[in-house]
Amino acid sequence: MSIVVALLQAVLLVALAPLVSGIARKIRAKMHAREGASALQDYYDLAKLWHRCEVREGGSGLVSRAMPPVFLGCFILIAAGLPLAMQACPIPILGDIITILYLMALPRFMFSLASIDSAGSYTAIGGIRELLVGVLVEPSLMLVLFVMAVAVGSTNVGIMANAVATLQAYPMVAVVVAAVACAMACYIEMGKLPFDLAEAEQEIQEGPLAAYSGPSLAMLKLGVSLKQLVVASLFVAIFVPFGAAAAAGPLDILIGFIVYLVKVLVVFLLASVIENSVMRVRYKLLGRYTWFVVGIASLSLVFLVIGI
Amino acid sequence: MFGYPLVNVLGACLIITSMMVVLARTGRAAACLYSLQSLVLVGVLASLGAVTGSTELFTWSATAFATKVVLVPAILLYTLKKIGSDAQADLPPRMNPMKSVALVAVEVFVCFVVVSGIDLPTADAALPTLAVSLAHFFIGLTCIVIQRSIFKQIFGYCLMENGSHVTLALLAPQAPELVEIGVATDAIFAVIILAVLVCRMARYTHTLDADDLCELKG
Amino acid sequence: MLELVLLSLGVSCATGVVSLLCGKTPKAAKTVACVGGMGAAALSFAGGVGALLQTATYVSWLGPMPFTNFSLLLNPLAGLLIAVIAALAFVAWLYGLSYFDEYYDKGIGVIGLFMNLFIASMNLVILADNAFWFLVFFELMSLTSYVLVIIDQTEKSVRGGFLYLIMAHIGFLMIAISFFVMASAAGSLEFAAFRATAFAPALATVAFVLAFFGFGAKAGMVPFHSWLPQAHPAAPSNVSALMSGGMIKIGIFGICKVCFDLLGAAGGEIGWGVLVIVIGAVSSVLGVVYALGEHDLKSLLAYHSVENIGIILLGVGTGIFGWAAGLPWLAAIGLLAGLYHLVNHAMFKGLLFLGAGSVLHATGTRNMEVLGGLARLMPWTAVCFLVGSLAISAIPPLNGFVSEWFTYQGLIGAAMEGDIFLRIVFAFAVVALAITGALAVTCFVKAFGVTFLAKPRSEAAERACEVPTPMVTAMVVLTVACVVLGLGAAWIAPVIESIGASMLAAPALPVAEGVTLVSLDTVSVVSPLILAVLMAAVIAVCALVRNVANAKAGMKADPKPWACGYEPDLSMETLASTVGANVKNFMGPLYAIRYGVNRAGQTMARLIGRAIDPEAESAAPAAAPAPKGASSRFDRDRVFGIAPAEKHAPALSNSVLSIVRDLGAWFGRMESGDYRTYIVYIVGALVFFLALIVLVR
Repeated sequence: MSIVVALLQAVLLVALAPLVSGIARKIRAKMHAREGASALQDYYDLAKLWHRCEVREGGSGLVSRAMPPVFLGCFILIAAGLPLAMQACPIPILGDIITILYLMALPRFMFSLASIDSAGSYTAIGGIRELLVGVLVEPSLMLVLFVMAVAVGSTNVGIMANAVATLQAYPMVAVVVAAVACAMACYIEMGKLPFDLAEAEQEIQEGPLAAYSGPSLAMLKLGVSLKQLVVASLFVAIFVPFGAAAAAGPLDILIGFIVYLVKVLVVFLLASVIENSVMRVRYKLLGRYTWFVVGIASLSLVFLVIGI
Repeated sequence: MFGYPLVNVLGACLIITSMMVVLARTGRAAACLYSLQSLVLVGVLASLGAVTGSTELFTWSATAFATKVVLVPAILLYTLKKIGSDAQADLPPRMNPMKSVALVAVEVFVCFVVVSGIDLPTADAALPTLAVSLAHFFIGLTCIVIQRSIFKQIFGYCLMENGSHVTLALLAPQAPELVEIGVATDAIFAVIILAVLVCRMARYTHTLDADDLCELKG
Repeated sequence: MLELVLLSLGVSCATGVVSLLCGKTPKAAKTVACVGGMGAAALSFAGGVGALLQTATYVSWLGPMPFTNFSLLLNPLAGLLIAVIAALAFVAWLYGLSYFDEYYDKGIGVIGLFMNLFIASMNLVILADNAFWFLVFFELMSLTSYVLVIIDQTEKSVRGGFLYLIMAHIGFLMIAISFFVMASAAGSLEFAAFRATAFAPALATVAFVLAFFGFGAKAGMVPFHSWLPQAHPAAPSNVSALMSGGMIKIGIFGICKVCFDLLGAAGGEIGWGVLVIVIGAVSSVLGVVYALGEHDLKSLLAYHSVENIGIILLGVGTGIFGWAAGLPWLAAIGLLAGLYHLVNHAMFKGLLFLGAGSVLHATGTRNMEVLGGLARLMPWTAVCFLVGSLAISAIPPLNGFVSEWFTYQGLIGAAMEGDIFLRIVFAFAVVALAITGALAVTCFVKAFGVTFLAKPRSEAAERACEVPTPMVTAMVVLTVACVVLGLGAAWIAPVIESIGASMLAAPALPVAEGVTLVSLDTVSVVSPLILAVLMAAVIAVCALVRNVANAKAGMKADPKPWACGYEPDLSMETLASTVGANVKNFMGPLYAIRYGVNRAGQTMARLIGRAIDPEAESAAPAAAPAPKGASSRFDRDRVFGIAPAEKHAPALSNSVLSIVRDLGAWFGRMESGDYRTYIVYIVGALVFFLALIVLVR
């Protein structure tokens, strides 16, 4: 049963990723008082790219060639392992937070490597910035997850979800503050507007995408949307597990799926609203904002330690 | 969820709100947030009163509501209006305010370590709140140190004062009403004096930047 | 099993002497040394692996004097170290078959002798069970490796070697004092006597702390790391692999041996574990931060050794903490993490150093800035180096991930048990490990990407070609070891756990069920093997789908990358310093620490007045401004380079003057007249007194 749920989750998230980013674009257009493209536009884009001839650029070799499947594949795997519809991990060996965080490091590794591979200077700068965002956000994310792990007594995401859903995660305030810090960390990790780090040059934004074309670009675009969805889902899975199935009955799971979709849509709605009401942060000032996340995460640690 | 856990949760809210006061960008927002923080303080006092069954604490909370939630923010907002816009009451702090959150976390931790050895007359269960109240002293100092605008530095004083209020309630819940009146009026007068000073400085020097004002000495 | 190891020692010594005698005909000397060394390594590997699962073997021969009894002990921990060093020695010799061709004119016979002696002395340090012989062999190990470091006879290698010799002796001295402290209480230099004595807690703590810092200097932990990035890169690359992969592990071995074995009867203190964890956390972060600033490939790898020693110390520290706090499962998981990472680091660091050696062999330079594009010219080296990079960055499902996973589980499990102080310490350690992980990814993207990808940036890099078969084979062997240690973790972890259990004299903890690894205290499982299968399957499906689409729509190649309409040229490529400059943006303060340390060192040098330099007065102010200044942005020497401290060491006569001036300036800053400054002092005093109250209470 749980294998089926895992497969369903993976397929569902991959299928929905373009829709979610399409909706985000639509909201952006609406907030700019434009009509905007259809919410399904990302599907059209992908379909079109899929039938285009691919151009391999610069000195790019095997690393560039391997990157899009690795990028997409890793996030599919993470998507399959998260406790989205149920309050337990469908595949327990994929449910450990350490595994999840380090599994996210592989796409980042390959992404940046590919950006250097194409021998273009702009792509590489984008790739390196992508890495540095990881360096700045990951420690806070780890601290938050550490607080959660100690609060519920396990590093398994499913057990965390269950403890939060049944309100058994012990120092309540610590968990709530951790949730705030985690939301901020995930928001930065999603690469939404104040942190999308473009600095005038379109080529720097999302780095190596500039060096790709055709089906590889389509796969990479899908991967980037899926990454945003997976990161948002990670937050939803741990801190907002309410409504997910506690038992493994088919009906419970169906309800769990529906509730999950609603939750993640709300999260994206909020993220889009924030994204469109802020200015872009200068790359060099990024550290200031991550300090804020560090501060809140350490506040949750202190609350955990003093037990409130 | 009632009893001491509620007190502690409200104590945590005190920390969060006071952090917001420190982080607030404009003086106006800081005054409003300070009002909110005092409201939480009133909640702490009232819930503590319910837990310990001391009627004094309820009267405390009533006076605290009148003075801190209403009167002090009103005075400060009035001062802000008097100063006007040319005196830069909203100067940004000198330290990256984001870092001060981490600093506050460290302060709370240090205070908890200190108070963990104290035997509380009320109960051990409220130790975290005691740590929080002590930490307010440090948060107030932090506010004074990192802010450049002397108007915002007033809030540092107010935060310290709030902290001492909670400490008093925890250590001596049965203290007579007179003590409380003393504390409350003391705060009011201090804030009034500070507000008047800020007003006059703004009028004479047209700046509230502590760095610039330091040039005046001697 | 002990016989096998002793036999291998005999073979090593004999080979060394023969290769020295063949010195006139370099080719013969090289062949003798390498083949003999491989034979000895195979023997000791068999002996070490055999000892893993057996109970300890102990032999003792009477020495000429009462304290020189030649006692040897081969227990599972020693077996593990011997096996690891033997494996590295084997590939190092195999690699040397071709790599040493470059050293024909530098005395290949001498290299053969000293490298053999070096390996033999490492084995003897591990085996020795008497303080006197332990110290003798420890010294022998330092001296033989010193000779190997300075074999190039360049100014840089001689300087690095000298620093190494000094640090090794500082460590030696501390270890010796520690042993004599124990010996004076136990009444004998035999380790067996130490083991039987229950030392007084204060004495035990003194002995442990001295031994920890002494062995830590050998292991290259912060603050004793300065020799490592100068000495290791100077040696021939396969010797660097042996030193970075093997020798510094002797330091870890010593810490474990002193703590769990020699001081075992006394019982540990929780404070020891905290000390080890804090130093480990600091080492891991600073190691990787400084590695990011390097553009010499081998120095970068050497700094990563500092980082990985830190990670090993985190595991070992958790073990010590669990042992002292009476939590056997925690001790077991901590030791498992530490020892597993020890093995893993030996494999991937050996691999990476050999890879760097291949690059050096093919291009003649270690400077990443002038390399690039080697992946196409040296595909085997590139693939091996990539696997090593992924492993050291702890990417699942390779071996680095497995040991870091256990380290995390140990730290989080410990935090669940600890009180308020300890929770903060463990949280600090977890965050440090997370920063290290993220920075290691950055650093190896840089190391691999800048060296092997994009286009060649110099003639040397364009002319590179794949290295000879023995070198490729050596790298492939270690690559396979990295993969096997990752995928086969479910079978290897219980063996390493049993070593920990034997050290703790505790029953074995179940750490694996079937193909999954289990962490009981944190209720979590992971399975590198299943993960690998799943990853391979999903990625293969994605790749297949994409390739089908490509086949339908066609593919073209465009030799020029898009550069916003400019004509792309080689100067536009990403360099190592591009990454470094970007990192410095956010990690500036950490580099400033190093700068500050260098300045402190400068002041020390000034005080000692070691060198006389008439230009002192002009040199001192030049070094004074902090690296905050506007000009420092691309000033590599100051920020990334090796300490500028050696350049200027002003005369003693001026030092008094400048110290007075510095003090004056400092007091001037304190007395700024700003009331907020005084508030800071008040807060400081308050915290001080509060701390005093807590301590006194």
